[in-house]
Amino acid sequence: MLRAGLGRRSRLCGGGLWRSPRPAAASGSASPRRPGALSGASASPRNGGGARGEGAPPAGAGDDTRAWGPPFAGAESVYFLSVNRNKKSIAINMKDSKGAKLIRELAAVSDVFVENYIPGKLAEMGLGYEDIKKIAPHIVYCSITGYGQTGPMVQRGGYDSIAAAVSGLMHITGHEDGEPVRPGVAMTDLATGLYTYGAIMAGLLQRHKTGKGLHIDCNLLSSQVACLTHVAANYLNCKIEAKRWGTAHGSIVPYQAFKTKDGYIVVGAGNDQQFVTVCKILNLPEVSKDSRYRTNTLRVQNRKELIDILSTRFSEKTTIEWLQLFEGSGVPYGRINNMQQVFSDPQVLHNGLVMEMNHPTAGKIAVPGPGVRYSEFSVSHPKPPPLVGQHTVEILKGMLGYEDDAIEELLRTGAVAQHEVR
Amino acid sequence: MLRAGLGRRSRLCGGGLWRSPRPAAASGSASPRRPGALSGASASPRNGGGARGEGAPPAGASNVKPLDAVKILDLTRVLAGPFATMILGDLGAEVIKVERPGAGDDTRAWGPPFAGAESVYFLSVNRNKKSIAINMKDSKGAKLIRELAAVSDVFVENYIPGKLAEMGLGYEDIKKIAPHIVYCSITGYGQTGPMVQRGGYDSIAAAVSGLMHITGHEDGEPVRPGVAMTDLATGLYTYGAIMAGLLQRHKTGKGLHIDCNLLSSQVACLTHVAANYLNCKIEAKRWGTAHGSIVPYQILNLPEVSKDSRYRTNTLRVQNRKELIDILSTRFSEKTTIEWLQLFEGSGVPYGRINNMQQVFSDPQVLHNGLVMEMNHPTAGKIAVPGPGVRYSEFSVSHPKPPPLVGQHTVEILKGMLGYEDDAIEELLRTGAVAQHEVR
Repeated sequence: MLRAGLGRRSRLCGGGLWRSPRPAAASGSASPRRPGALSGASASPRNGGGARGEGAPPAGAGDDTRAWGPPFAGAESVYFLSVNRNKKSIAINMKDSKGAKLIRELAAVSDVFVENYIPGKLAEMGLGYEDIKKIAPHIVYCSITGYGQTGPMVQRGGYDSIAAAVSGLMHITGHEDGEPVRPGVAMTDLATGLYTYGAIMAGLLQRHKTGKGLHIDCNLLSSQVACLTHVAANYLNCKIEAKRWGTAHGSIVPYQAFKTKDGYIVVGAGNDQQFVTVCKILNLPEVSKDSRYRTNTLRVQNRKELIDILSTRFSEKTTIEWLQLFEGSGVPYGRINNMQQVFSDPQVLHNGLVMEMNHPTAGKIAVPGPGVRYSEFSVSHPKPPPLVGQHTVEILKGMLGYEDDAIEELLRTGAVAQHEVR
Repeated sequence: MLRAGLGRRSRLCGGGLWRSPRPAAASGSASPRRPGALSGASASPRNGGGARGEGAPPAGASNVKPLDAVKILDLTRVLAGPFATMILGDLGAEVIKVERPGAGDDTRAWGPPFAGAESVYFLSVNRNKKSIAINMKDSKGAKLIRELAAVSDVFVENYIPGKLAEMGLGYEDIKKIAPHIVYCSITGYGQTGPMVQRGGYDSIAAAVSGLMHITGHEDGEPVRPGVAMTDLATGLYTYGAIMAGLLQRHKTGKGLHIDCNLLSSQVACLTHVAANYLNCKIEAKRWGTAHGSIVPYQILNLPEVSKDSRYRTNTLRVQNRKELIDILSTRFSEKTTIEWLQLFEGSGVPYGRINNMQQVFSDPQVLHNGLVMEMNHPTAGKIAVPGPGVRYSEFSVSHPKPPPLVGQHTVEILKGMLGYEDDAIEELLRTGAVAQHEVR
């Protein structure tokens, strides 16, 4: 059963001890592994113990975010854990020509190739789209960058904050009289991720028709600008420059957050009838009769005075009191929830938005669940995020049919690495 | 060639004249249309006149798109649903937008601004769709929707759970006559659960899901993203989920029901912020624009700062954040943005200006990426909207069709998709079960 939060206090949730980036595992020279240890097929699922073999180089730093913290859950970056479930990890040194060759071999037996390197970097290693297409013409090759595969900004790395600034999102986010801010989670990065997952499936559907693969260009700038929708259209068609509105809406009043005695509540009046209801709940009968506020257009015109009146009234009760008063009213309303409130919300739990799983070293972890549910299949039984190179040998054997001695050689030279945990 | 903005001043871009919701087109009784006028097949492709925006040239003559021949019956309104179906339309799907006669989609009345008589809000997310105007509350209208579902691949809606079932249009109803259908529901909070009866509003969902709490100045009040990112994230989840449904059908031959909602989309997007709480009980807070750890001492000419032991590592800079940011802020305020942009260029340090709309749409990379999409609208004239977020090597999403007028394609669809004869169409028009716009 899914529980909000996890209530455990026993695990070290790295604060004090982990002030520097977690030290990268050494990737020096290694001695040959014992034959028995390489037999991926014979090993029982190893998730926390067992000998690794003598002296082979440990898998290194892996994905940058493995070092991002505090906080850490055990030795695992919580940041990394939050977005890496259900994946296997193979540790390959791409700069080693044997490593790059391995990646081409894996591509030949894969359906999708997805990467986020600066355009040109993978091509230098023989792993660009044209290289991969030669040996895997069916591949759906998806590139994710900051700004696109070509163009004046092509060489710039992709960073959510910068892209949020350049794409216009930051300019329109923040208090009306305040400075620009960015969304509290990297919505530009995430929107790009969402475009990407759909685009990859579009690529797979395309392949059903044509039998061929293709190259997909996803980037932060395009994702965010595409999401500007009506704000951009107002400018493109009518030269109306955008501005910041805080929690309010440019053309619907009232539709914003109000400070209560002890927090914030968001209330909206989507039509005149709902506005009358709001006034009733707030016990402001004279306001609902006031000709200055009778229609949405008038309320927009007389926004400041109206919001002042409503704000004063909202500040007189606690959030809980207002939630009770608005319940069942038909008016849209909701509390501004912090994390504790989000993850104790009955609807959030009902929707399966806390996903728990066991991690081989971090123990029991929890992450936000999937955003969509389907009637014909479920996304339950997640596998935990992998350790670096946790599945290297398994993949070399299972996907590429490599024999033990070939694997030994790759391990010995450092072209690949296997984590001691499998 | 794509131009930033459009530079035209001649068209009325409704501010002053359009203070009230745009009057709904009268949907009263109609006299029977002349038989000749019902011949949908004869019309030449109407897209407002000639070639519209210039996108990237199609890759090869065929330009096969992933969703060619996929029919989407779109009952959604406002933003999340229409945004999703717009993307599906870009990928080649035929999107049939079902609207109530007269007012149609609520957002057709949202303005100012209007381009001509068209709400710019509506125009921004409804390209490449056909509009059929059906009165769903009329049993003949509901029957029509079931008939359309039977010949469609996807059914997407955003009604409060239960409402469509009351009209015989719920998943179970549609599944009976169209077991292959990918039926996607978009709501505020989900198909079941304690909040199931609440309508979905972006601001409310952004509040309840935690996004608002974490957005805003460190010492300021919560704010929400300046565009409805929760609605849009839901639209993005939806477009992918519908394609997941189509891929599923390739395997199983069966359709399915999909539950997309604002709450789940946004909570799923909380990623590490949520994980910090779920695993370590670290409550989230607002950080303003703060992020990142790279400090460009050289460019700022602050050599003493780069040597200061208090700021030597990221961890130390985090600890001594306030003092450091004060020093940097003072220095930044001494030059203009343009001067700083020039100094940072080629430095390898991540940097970028906070662009307003005019700056976004004159940015060379934005134009290079095809992010201004122009098209001709039958009544609004030339319009422009943000272009698609993704580009593909094997096909292009160019040649968009403009957003439809209410019921612009009613007759065309009844004939073309359902094979209705003129007299049956006349009857439906006469009784008000459907409506046809005078423009086709």
